[in-house]
Amino acid sequence: MSRTIKGGIHPPEHKELSENASPRVYEAEGELIYPLSQHIGRPAKPVVKKGDHVLVGQKIADADGFVSACICSSCSGIVKAVEKRRTNAGTYGECIVIDNDGQFTEAPDYGREVSCDDLTNEEIIGKIRDAGIIGMGGAGFPTAVKLMPKDPGAIRHVIVNGAECEPYITCDDQLMRTRAADIVEGLQIVMRLFPHAEGVILIEDNKPEAIAAMTAAAAGQEHVRVVVARTKYPQGGEKSVISLVTGIYTKVSELPAEAGCIVDNVATILAIRNAVRFSKPLVRRMVTVTGDAVKTPSNLIVRIGTNAEELVAAAGGIREGVTLEKALFGGPMMGVAVADLSVPIQKGSNALTLLAHDEAMDAQREMTACIRCGRCARVCPMGLVPEMMAEAVERKDYESYEKKFYGLECIQCGSCTFICPAKRPLTQLFKIAKAEIMAKAAKKPVPSGKEDK
Amino acid sequence: MTEEKVLHVSSGPHVRSRLKTGSVMLGVIISLMPATIAGIWNFGPSALYTVLASVAVAVLTEYLFDRIAHKENTVKDGSAVVTGILLALVLPSGTPLYIPVIGAVFAILVVKCFFGGLGKNFMNPALAARCFLLISFGTQMTRYEVDGVSGATPLATLAAGGNESLLNMFLGRTNGVIGCSILGLLIGGIFLWAMGGITWQIPVSVLASFTLFIALFGGYGFSPVRLLQQICGGGIVMAAFFMATDPVTSPVTGRGQLIYGCLVGILSGLFRVYGSSADSVSYAVIISNLFTPLIDLMPAPKPYAYRKRQAAKEAGQKKPSRFPKPALILCAITLIAGLLLSTVYGMTKAQIALKQEEEKTASYREVLPDAEKFSAGSDLKSAVSALDGKTYGTSFGKVTIDGAVEGKDSSGSAVGYVIAVTSGDGFNGDISLSVGILKDGTVNGISFTTLNETAGMGMKAEEPTFKDQFAGKNVDAFVLNKQGGSTEDNQIDSISGASITSGAVVNAVNAAVDFYRNQIAK
Repeated sequence: MSRTIKGGIHPPEHKELSENASPRVYEAEGELIYPLSQHIGRPAKPVVKKGDHVLVGQKIADADGFVSACICSSCSGIVKAVEKRRTNAGTYGECIVIDNDGQFTEAPDYGREVSCDDLTNEEIIGKIRDAGIIGMGGAGFPTAVKLMPKDPGAIRHVIVNGAECEPYITCDDQLMRTRAADIVEGLQIVMRLFPHAEGVILIEDNKPEAIAAMTAAAAGQEHVRVVVARTKYPQGGEKSVISLVTGIYTKVSELPAEAGCIVDNVATILAIRNAVRFSKPLVRRMVTVTGDAVKTPSNLIVRIGTNAEELVAAAGGIREGVTLEKALFGGPMMGVAVADLSVPIQKGSNALTLLAHDEAMDAQREMTACIRCGRCARVCPMGLVPEMMAEAVERKDYESYEKKFYGLECIQCGSCTFICPAKRPLTQLFKIAKAEIMAKAAKKPVPSGKEDK
Repeated sequence: MTEEKVLHVSSGPHVRSRLKTGSVMLGVIISLMPATIAGIWNFGPSALYTVLASVAVAVLTEYLFDRIAHKENTVKDGSAVVTGILLALVLPSGTPLYIPVIGAVFAILVVKCFFGGLGKNFMNPALAARCFLLISFGTQMTRYEVDGVSGATPLATLAAGGNESLLNMFLGRTNGVIGCSILGLLIGGIFLWAMGGITWQIPVSVLASFTLFIALFGGYGFSPVRLLQQICGGGIVMAAFFMATDPVTSPVTGRGQLIYGCLVGILSGLFRVYGSSADSVSYAVIISNLFTPLIDLMPAPKPYAYRKRQAAKEAGQKKPSRFPKPALILCAITLIAGLLLSTVYGMTKAQIALKQEEEKTASYREVLPDAEKFSAGSDLKSAVSALDGKTYGTSFGKVTIDGAVEGKDSSGSAVGYVIAVTSGDGFNGDISLSVGILKDGTVNGISFTTLNETAGMGMKAEEPTFKDQFAGKNVDAFVLNKQGGSTEDNQIDSISGASITSGAVVNAVNAAVDFYRNQIAK
């Protein structure tokens, strides 16, 4: 039953740092910051103004259009400002800032239990939309939109993505260990929307306890099975997950629904369950605070909008005798490095990885000429030839990059950069190329340095 | 975070594998060790010195070039060591040490550094250097010695109709280059493959296409022993695992590697069967290297998502061939070319022989115009064959008597003899000539059948002023007069500036006269 993707790599996992750290609740102390653009699509529109008093679960920004998501307050307090703040994307973005009163007074409807049998499919999707749920594995696609494919009857698989292939991160592992039954309940809710779908829970074999817990929870459930995959990065990527379950490889331009799939991360499924069954909007999530620079690697349940610095402190702070060199939102493969930790946890922030040593700097020093060894092509999960793509980018031949080498099919998983013995920044080049091509398509200049720095 | 600290910010991924260019090279070096050690074991310390000289000079050359060109020191990536070892492994063991030194300088400086260093060379540096050495130092590069005794390589022995123990070839206990132990190469090559240093495509396609070509055109059919001898000799295994697989000069994609591998194999076979050079594989690899950019121009492999789509469309019709079409086409073209070549060779072979025979007769006529027919009686034949093609006499230099015929006029009475001699002492190789001798021992004339001397100098031997000096003289032996202005019958004026050529010719004529007087006339 052990299966795995084509290509891929085995980066050091380092999951041992936090995989057995039981989830702890951390309640935010300082102000909470809610960037309006935490998702794919148009930024949310604020529905509160400075001076308003808000409660936990109260909507503070509404979705702007179909592909967008609303934002609900995760604390109670006074709206301090609606202004530009630094976010974890490394740039300044419009944010709602709420002065936390520390009471966490809940809105009247928050936590009201509802039986699914009383809800229509439209009502379920409406509750998911109103909860502001987006893909919590990092992609950030509005979940309600994802759950409304053209033909729900054509969906054959609802996949709960518990692969968690990114090194260091253990929050999904812990969720599956501690909330297995709730996750299966969430899966059943989603499966209700798709009459012909079976439920698949995909887990990598480096998480035996999660496999055991989910298998037990899924036992006796109709049309639900647990699929175990041999551990390999980037197996948790949406396209990889689909190819593992169905054997179909989808193009970048194709949605999972075109392969008859709905793929949701474990945390997203749980958020769906909380929203539908208990009217709880997405206000909390589990975040793994880990890395060799942090004292007590932890899995923290925190309120969205909490300042990352508070999380570091909650995990014991930086280890003595160690200098923090790099801080990442997410894991080391696809995570985003931040220059300043004073940025908020967002809906899609699954981990805070604090590294005492920046390997990327060493790589820059050790870079040699490409020896055309072809390892990049062998590890590419998409079947691309990064060596040729990089060569095209280096001579600014974006035409060839896109047309001849299918460069836009790159999912920027970083496998090629990881494996390259010459330490060439391949993925980084592809990010530049993608930005250039997108900018050209949109006929506007590239936002300077956004992708690169 | 309160203290002022700058966090590193860079685009992901933020971790790297431990694999470095240096470790890739180290993998190659380790996998070359079995063959290197086998070479030193078989050939003794001289092989070790060759390896050491080659490696040291390769590294030093790269270091000095980087210094002089103000480039970053690239020695630490280890690629110069790899080139050094590879070069040594394709050199004969007993060569003077200046051979690996010159070769290593050429490989690193000319082939690699001049074209931009690591990753930029368009030919395999070690093999390019070997070809350069073969052309420039042909003698040293083809003198194979084991324990001070020189001999032919297994392939040369086989080509001459001899036989060679397959086991000795497999173990590398034959005359050959240092890295001729097939066992050592296989151990290293399979290790390299297992470590991910090379892919299976190139070794498999090189060996398969080469074997197929030899089986079809090698003249021995599918005889397993003959095929194995061809595979174990002449460096095809070395090329399959270590030379053709050099990532810099081979295609990146698996499909490209298959095409390239077939090209290497077929060209090796072509040169082996129909070529005249001492080496076939080296040339095949470096020529194939030149095709690499072209092969890489082929459409890139489609991403999985696109391949699936195509397969789905074609489902139910027919399964797309797993073997790439361009490879099939290329193989077909090469096979056809090989066939054509062999047919043309077969057709022209007889004509060439006829032509050569005519030329010979013409030269006989030239030196013995009175004769009508030329024939060799059994006594003449046995006199020549008694010499066994060995150097004739002791005072004529490297002269051999190639043949002798008796010339008779139209009435059937003997006029004289024509003796064909070759001197190996020419300035530019062999000089062959026919010497016409009348029955009384008078030299009637000489005519050259092979003369490749320097134009304007040694080539003047063909001019009447030189070669007519021999005609009509009846002497025991001619003497070369370097001063000129000869008065005596036995004196021959040297061609000015070409005393080596002149001496060789005089010696050759003297040998012919001696042969006539002592063996034919008796």
